[in-house]
Amino acid sequence: MSRMQKFAWFNLAVIALALLVVFSLVPLLGFKAMGGFGFLGLLGFGPAFFRTKPGQVLMDERDLLIQARSWVFAYAVFWVIFVLAAVVLSALVYGQDGSVPVTIVQISTFWAVTLVYALASIAILVQYAGGASDAK
Amino acid sequence: MPSEKQETLTNRIRRLRFDNGEMTQQALAERVGVTRQTIIALEAGKYVPSLLLAFRLAAAFRVRVEEVFQYDGNSPS
Repeated sequence: MSRMQKFAWFNLAVIALALLVVFSLVPLLGFKAMGGFGFLGLLGFGPAFFRTKPGQVLMDERDLLIQARSWVFAYAVFWVIFVLAAVVLSALVYGQDGSVPVTIVQISTFWAVTLVYALASIAILVQYAGGASDAK
Repeated sequence: MPSEKQETLTNRIRRLRFDNGEMTQQALAERVGVTRQTIIALEAGKYVPSLLLAFRLAAAFRVRVEEVFQYDGNSPS
């Protein structure tokens, strides 16, 4: 298993943990359970998978290609959802002259991080499984 | 304007490894500076390498790049 695959599985595990904590605490704490998204901070340990060791190739051109494609895909999907949420959903839910609560903006940020990392990680795993067919 | 004909790039890496003293995938990977997974993907035809890597592979086997990779597709008229 390559470093990129380990990185992707780590991200998915952290996201699963955060979602598990959040949704298991919702019945007890209500909206305060969203604090469980703080576990997403563990994503910050992801770069530890890419520590270089002398004489060992950690990433090559194929890994970099897969990495680039995955993040482009994740951010492209995120951008579409972001625009839909900001332009359409906010107006539908809060009205044209309404205001979005600060807590909604804060929680949306956590959901955005979750979405981007999950999509990128899934894209990485899918490409290692059989994609990344060229070096264009 | 390119036609719709499918372009394929096959390679003889596996055969060349065998011909070079049954060189392991790991040994070849270290020689050309990539991971073993990339050699596996190349041999399985799941990855087309950059020009630089193609020349590195050819150099590792001490052959010309055309002896490693075979292009089948549109040729310029």
